[in-house]
Amino acid sequence: MMYPEPTNIWQSIEYSSLGTGIAESLWAFPMIESVHVMALVTVFGTILVMDLRLLGLASTNVAASKMSSDTLKWTWIGFVLAAITGTLLFVSKASTYMVNPYFLTKMGLLAAAGINMLIFHFVTYKSVNEWDNSSTLPTGAKLAGILSIIFWVVIVFCGRAIGFTLGIYLPEVSF
Amino acid sequence: MMDLFFEITGWLRETFLLDLAFWMMETPISLVMVENFWNVPLAQVVHIISIGSAFGALLMLTLRVHGKASENLPMDVVAKRYVPWVWYGLLGIVISGLLMLTAEPLRNMINAVFWIKMILLLVAVVLTLGFFKSVRAQGAGEVVQAASGTRTTALVLIVLWLLIMLAGRWIAYIPV
Repeated sequence: MMYPEPTNIWQSIEYSSLGTGIAESLWAFPMIESVHVMALVTVFGTILVMDLRLLGLASTNVAASKMSSDTLKWTWIGFVLAAITGTLLFVSKASTYMVNPYFLTKMGLLAAAGINMLIFHFVTYKSVNEWDNSSTLPTGAKLAGILSIIFWVVIVFCGRAIGFTLGIYLPEVSF
Repeated sequence: MMDLFFEITGWLRETFLLDLAFWMMETPISLVMVENFWNVPLAQVVHIISIGSAFGALLMLTLRVHGKASENLPMDVVAKRYVPWVWYGLLGIVISGLLMLTAEPLRNMINAVFWIKMILLLVAVVLTLGFFKSVRAQGAGEVVQAASGTRTTALVLIVLWLLIMLAGRWIAYIPV
């Protein structure tokens, strides 16, 4: 198939052999998207288990540090897989995604969820020895838990919204 | 593989399922679901969140059974924490799934992949019942290792859930 000369970086990415290969294949996009779903439910599911512990709503018989080490590995495996598959999906429609407000919001929220996690691990978590085994955790930990749940639910919403609005927000094409 | 799916879809089209799908499209729930642009995507969000809740809980229980998480706790204690999340997650999956099905009956009722997914789901639910029972029965109040059969069932269930997710996404890509 013939593609127009790229006029910006997003078109260059989209018209790359990787981008066009995924876009033209009958099975590549759905297959990558399926793995993206498997990965993201693993991320969401394991993060929810940790967040509920932080909020004192479940697993209060498990130390917060133990819950963190039990779940975090799987959260990371899921996240890396979701990031790789997400990048591949992006490459196949880069210029369409870059004008989609839900895609841009999703990227912003992913950054926010990351910052929330960093603050928890490098600030709140420093005093873990004082509250590791208690069922009611400090406000900072509870706040991290509730923010995390909200961020990830909205991230899932944005992900679905992207798929439903691809035909609504179209990039300007120059021929 | 695709040819087989098309063949099954062609056969499903000849059954009562086609008329049932058309009937479903006229039901009040279906009309409400298609009235607003956001209803179907929102049902899908509930579907994904529910899958995450149930699958995350099943994963944690599987890790316990394999001694890779909460290995310091008795299995019945771990089961008590995660089993309700699998069932409530499944309830959310079924409710949101029924809404999605009613909104777009034609896309599902004569779709081979949809019925493959339903069969896999049924197998998973039956296996889950047995799995939870065997987990609860092993070393109640004591920290013991899970029997090898229980370990295998746990992994089979994880694979089944992943296949159900795979089928779920492919429903959208099989032309009917």
